[in-house]
Amino acid sequence: MNSRIEYWVKIPIGPIHPALEEPEKFIITLDGERIIHVDIKLGYNLRGLEWIAMRRNYIQLLYLVERICGICSFSHNHTYTRAVEEMAGIEVPERAEYIRAIIGELERIHSHLLNLGVVGHAIGYDTVLHLSWLARERVMDILEAIGGNRVNYAMNTIGGVRRDIEEKHKRMILDMIRYYREEVMPKVEEIFLYDPTVEARLRDAGVIPKRIALEYSAQGPTARGSGIKKDVRYNEQLGVYPELGIKPITPKEFTGVIKGDVFDRMVVRVGELWQSMEIIEKAFDQMPEGKIKTFSKDNVVLTKLKRAEGAGIGRYEAPRGETIHYIRANPGTDTPAKWKAREPTFPNLFAVARALVGEQLADVPVAIASIDPCLSCTDRVAIIDSKTGKKKVLTEKDLLKASIEKTKEINPNIKAKPEPVGGICGGVRL
Amino acid sequence: MNVLCTTVGLIAIYLYVSFVSLVWDGLDRRLVARMQRRVGPPLLQPFYDFLKLVSKESIIPRDSNKMFEASPILALAASITLLAYTPIGFGPILATKGDVLVFIYLLALIAFIRVIGAVSSGSPYAQIGAQREVIMLASREAPMMLGLFAILWRLAKLDVEKPFSLETLYQHNIWEIGTPLTIVGSLVLLIVFVFWLASEIEVGYFNIPEAETEVAEGPMAEYSGRHLALFKLSNSLKEYASASLVVAMFFPWGLSQYLGIRGIEAMLVDLVFHTIKVFVILFVSMSLFRAITGRLRVTQAVNLFWSRILPASIIGAILLAIDILGVIG
Repeated sequence: MNSRIEYWVKIPIGPIHPALEEPEKFIITLDGERIIHVDIKLGYNLRGLEWIAMRRNYIQLLYLVERICGICSFSHNHTYTRAVEEMAGIEVPERAEYIRAIIGELERIHSHLLNLGVVGHAIGYDTVLHLSWLARERVMDILEAIGGNRVNYAMNTIGGVRRDIEEKHKRMILDMIRYYREEVMPKVEEIFLYDPTVEARLRDAGVIPKRIALEYSAQGPTARGSGIKKDVRYNEQLGVYPELGIKPITPKEFTGVIKGDVFDRMVVRVGELWQSMEIIEKAFDQMPEGKIKTFSKDNVVLTKLKRAEGAGIGRYEAPRGETIHYIRANPGTDTPAKWKAREPTFPNLFAVARALVGEQLADVPVAIASIDPCLSCTDRVAIIDSKTGKKKVLTEKDLLKASIEKTKEINPNIKAKPEPVGGICGGVRL
Repeated sequence: MNVLCTTVGLIAIYLYVSFVSLVWDGLDRRLVARMQRRVGPPLLQPFYDFLKLVSKESIIPRDSNKMFEASPILALAASITLLAYTPIGFGPILATKGDVLVFIYLLALIAFIRVIGAVSSGSPYAQIGAQREVIMLASREAPMMLGLFAILWRLAKLDVEKPFSLETLYQHNIWEIGTPLTIVGSLVLLIVFVFWLASEIEVGYFNIPEAETEVAEGPMAEYSGRHLALFKLSNSLKEYASASLVVAMFFPWGLSQYLGIRGIEAMLVDLVFHTIKVFVILFVSMSLFRAITGRLRVTQAVNLFWSRILPASIIGAILLAIDILGVIG
C-alpha cells in the first residue's frame, strides 16, 4: 500500500488559477488523473468586513453590505434590511415587497446567466460563455435603468425600497422577458439540456448525493440539484413570495431523474430562469399602488433604530443559496453591536470538495464553477504560509493586531481597541 | 549546387510557412471571435505576441533541468525539419523513398519534445499536461497511420515508383480511381483525418493537454519569454504541416497545370493555392470545431479514439483493401 503513495501528486488549484474567479486554494491529491483527497484553504479574500461594520451606523451599513459581493449585491442588502426590520419591528409596505421581489428575480436572472457562461468556460466551451454573457447584457441594462448602476443598484433601505418601478420600467422589463423567452431560453435549453458535449462533461461529474447534501447543509441550486426541496422563499413563506406561487425547482421536472451532478445543478438554474420570469410577470399583475417606504427620511430610521433592542435574523434565497444575516442592537447608539453574514458558498464548497473525491482532475474546475462560488462573501479567517515554507497559522490575537495596525495605517482617526473574543469560524471575530 | 538549392529552398519555405501560419492564427482568432459575436484581436496579433515574447525575459524555474531550456529549440528544429518533409503543393523538398515515415516520426517527435520540456520544468501542472499529451499521442497515431498507409497502398497499385513517398500523392490522387469502394472508403478516412487534425493541433474536444482552466496550459505552464515564443512558432508550423498532409492526401490538385505555367512560377502558384486549401481545412478542423465543442475528459477522448475513430479508420482501410484485392466483382 505504501508503494502506491509514491505516485501521488499534490496539485494546488489556486490561490491564483485560471479556473477560479476569486482567490481560494484547493490542494488536490492525485493518483494519475483520479482525485484522492481535496483540501480547501480559504482566506485569501479577507477584508475584515465585520470589524468595519462595528463602526458604521445602520444606514451606512447598507452600503457596506451591498459591496460584500458584486453579483449578489441585492441579496445581501435585502437580507440585511430584513434582519434590521425584524430586530426593530418595522412594517414594510406591500408595494415595496413586490418591488424587492422583482429586483431580486432580475438579479437571479443575471447571476444564473453569468454562471451558465462560467460553467461553459470551465469545460472549454467558450462560445457558451460569450453568448450567454451577451444575453446577460440585456438584464444588466434594465438594472442600470432602474437602479442607476449595473452592479450596486442600492434599491433597498430599511423599511422599504428607495426607488419605485415606474410604467416605463415595467414596459422595459416585459420587453426583456419576451426577448429571453423567445430568443435566449430556447438556445440555453438546447445547450444545457441537449448538447452532447455539455452532457458528456457535466453528467456524472461532481456528484453530490442527497445524503451528503443534507450532511454538509448544501444550499440553493446545489441542494436542489441533489433533490432537496429547499428554497427559503418557499419553506419560510418569505414576504410576498407565497402569493407569487414560488416552488422549489428540482431537476425532476425537466429530466425526470435526480443524480445530483453538475448537469442537474445547471438544469435547476435553467428552470429558475423560467421561474424568475414568471414571478416577475405575476408580481406586476398583483403589485398594489401605495407607499414604497415606511420612513421618508433616513434620520427618522436611525432615531427609531437607536431605541431598538434585541436581535434580528434575515433570510433570503440568493441566487447561490440561502443567505442569513444576524444583527444585534446596541441600545442607545445607531450602530449594531454585532453583525454577521452567513453566505451559501461556505457549506457548498465543502460539499463539492467531498463530492470530488474519486473523480477526475478534469472535473475540478467545472464542479467548482457549478456551485457558483462567491468567495468574497465567504472569507472570514486568514491562514498564512510564510515565504520560508514554514506554515504558520495566525492566532486570533495576531490577526487582530495586524488588522488594527493596517486600519490605523489606512485611517488614523479610528480609535477603537477591539478585544479578542473567540467564537465560531476558527475563533476569530473580524 | 543541389545542396545549396535545397538549403535556400528550405529557408524560403520556413520563412513563408512561419508567416502564413501566424497569419492563419490571427485569422482563426478573428473568425472564432465573429462566431462568438465578439470583435476579436487584430489580424496580426500573433506577430505582436511573438515579437513581445521574444523581447521578454525568460524565467527558468528553480527545479528545472537543462532539457527545460533545450526543448523549445529542439521543438523548433524538429518543426523546421518537418517542413522539409511536408508536401506543400508539390512533393517535399527532401523527398526520398520513405519520407512518409520521416514525416510521421517528426510529427510525434515534436509532441515528444514538448513532453520532455514539460517533465523537466518541475511543475505539477506540466507533469499532468505531459501525461495527457502522451496518452493523446498514443491514441491518435493508430487511426492516422492506418488511414495514411491504406491510401498509399491503394495508390501504389497505380504503378508509382516510390510508394512510401509523399510525392506519390501528387502523381495520383485517391479520387481518380473512381470506384465506389475507394470513394466511400476515402470519405470515411477524410472524416477520420479531420478528427486527427483537430487532436493534433489540440482544439475543441481535444484541447486536453493544454486545458487552460484545468492545468493552466499544461506543458506550457512554466514557459515564458523567448522559450514560449519558440514553442508557439513551432506549434504554428506543426499546425500547417499536419493540415498540409490532409490537403495533400485528399485535395492534391494544383492550379499550375491548368494555367499552363512551368518551373518556379508553377511552384509559387501551387504553394499559394495549397495555402488556401490548408486554410479551408483548418477552418473546418480548427475554428469551427473550436467554436462548437467543449473539451472532453481525457478518458472520454481516448474512448472516442479507440471506439469510434479507429473502427472508422479500419472500415475505410478495409474498403480500400477490398478494392485492391478485388474480393467483390
